Amino acid sequence: MRQFFILLRKELRSFFLSPLAYVIIALFTFLNGWLFSSIVTAMRMKVNQHSLVYNLFDSGWFWMGYFFLFPLLTMRLFAEEKKLGTLETLLTAPVRTAQVVLAKFVATTILYIVIMLPIFAFFFLFEDITGESAAFQKGAFYGAAAILLLVGIFNIAIGCFASSLTSNQLIAAMITFVVVVLHYFLGFIHYFGAKLPAELLAKVTYFSTVEHRHLFTEGLIDSRPVIYYLSSAVVMLFLTHHVLERRRWQS
Amino acid sequence: MISVRNLTKRYAGHTAVDDISFEVDRGEIVGFLGPNGAGKSTTMRILTCYLSATQGAASVGGFDTFKDSIEVRKRIGYMPENVPLYDDMRVKEYLHFRAQLKGLRGRSARRAAGEAMDTCSLQDVRRKMIGTLSKGYRQRVGLADALVNKPELLILDEPTNGLDPNQIRQVRELIKHLGERHTILISTHILSEVEMTATRVIIIDKGRIKASDTPQNLIRRLHSSGTVHMEVKAKPKQVIEKIETLSDIKNAIHIGTSQGWSTIDVHAFSNVDIREQLSSLAQEQNWPLRELYRDTASLEDAFVDITRS
Ligand SMILES: Nc1ncnc2c1ncn2[C@@H]1O[C@H](COP(=O)(O)OP(=O)(O)O)[C@@H](O)[C@H]1O
Ligand SMILES: [Mg+2]
Repeated sequence: MRQFFILLRKELRSFFLSPLAYVIIALFTFLNGWLFSSIVTAMRMKVNQHSLVYNLFDSGWFWMGYFFLFPLLTMRLFAEEKKLGTLETLLTAPVRTAQVVLAKFVATTILYIVIMLPIFAFFFLFEDITGESAAFQKGAFYGAAAILLLVGIFNIAIGCFASSLTSNQLIAAMITFVVVVLHYFLGFIHYFGAKLPAELLAKVTYFSTVEHRHLFTEGLIDSRPVIYYLSSAVVMLFLTHHVLERRRWQS
Repeated sequence: MISVRNLTKRYAGHTAVDDISFEVDRGEIVGFLGPNGAGKSTTMRILTCYLSATQGAASVGGFDTFKDSIEVRKRIGYMPENVPLYDDMRVKEYLHFRAQLKGLRGRSARRAAGEAMDTCSLQDVRRKMIGTLSKGYRQRVGLADALVNKPELLILDEPTNGLDPNQIRQVRELIKHLGERHTILISTHILSEVEMTATRVIIIDKGRIKASDTPQNLIRRLHSSGTVHMEVKAKPKQVIEKIETLSDIKNAIHIGTSQGWSTIDVHAFSNVDIREQLSSLAQEQNWPLRELYRDTASLEDAFVDITRS
């Protein structure tokens, strides 16, 4: 446990002392600030049955920026250590591989939360200035935060795994991007006119981030998606651990 | 301290380490010597629990590298080949991080980092980014990391690789000094390295151990050291004729003459010392003799001799 905190602190430190973190925070906040103000404008022009929170997270622009976040956040985690050779010094110190994986995962999740905070600050600011509520119910607000956290954890775990597979950060980033985007669009499959049997369609809905988001941002928190994202993240981290330990297996 | 039994490591279809066994006792400085690709790094990676063996077993301080990996790692300070380091950390910060990771707490971690910097003369650069350091300093940061928690065993993979002669001398002195307190396994493909520091040399080639002995014994085992150089003031032809009448002489070769002094190389059969015979011969014949010395074989010769066979 002590080792975990030592590693976590080191990971956070190297995040927050690197320019990359600030570039990501600045770009992402800028993109969402722009999106936020155009949605507020649009809602003033045309009556809309949804809340501001719902509209923002329903925007394709938001998700486009969002998908670029994960490759950028996770590509260096293991790939860089492999490239530099520091994985060897790290894993020949008396630490468990699981501690290393968890420290990197948790540090990235913390950075992810920091990156998401400005969006929620926008909502508070909006409510403060206009006196209007950004979401129709308080629940929708928490729902939006919860689904973003769940999807984020899931995507970060995918990024961890991709980064453990290679010493090339670019390849890790590409794998993460493709998997994250494919998973997201799986939920859209019936919008593309694919003729699926009803039974399969119901199954797809179970994996569909889009459906989950609709529910959560309406304030309906369902336990099935929670279990789905968390257990998938655990599987991904387990696979990461597996990849890192493989060199130590005895035939 | 180290016990390796019938260790074999195969990479996809290629055997890097082939059934080697050896022991290292507490307090020894053992040089692990072999050409590039001999399997030195692979063996060290197995000892430090980074890789598993395909067959056989290794233990450090009585703990098996596979079953008690954490216990083994607590006892080892390892410096991998090419000294991987985090370029975005400062020297002091890095060593403090490593000390903590190796189980030292609070003030003792800070003190350990300070002592390691003293030992490796890093105090001047303690606030510098590792990425900006010269190769010599990086190597010393790697060494400081290896010894920061005062492990019983140091495993150093080519610690002087890529340094200039001055830096090599400094690092070598440091290793000698460390040998007073630690057991050391040091790999190198440079012979003079272990000749000066090691108490024992293990020569490995193509994944197999070719010899294991003190540097002195390895040199003594050598056949090619029966050569003597002499310089006499006499006609070379006459000198050679006389020398070749002595026993144990294979041949004598005239190298050159300047101002009446002839330089002659005398080769003896086997490894006998023929200097005494040659000096009495010169006295007998009344040849002025100004030089007479026996070629000292170096570990280099031993190495070439052993890895060729
Ligand atoms: N990860 C690897 N995969 C395949 N072959 C390897 C790997 N690492 C080393 N080898 C091979 O194993 C042999 C021994 O390598 P190594 O132990 O690094 O030798 P040394 O350190 O003595 O130069 C070499 O032929 C090398 O090419
Ligand atoms: Mg090597």
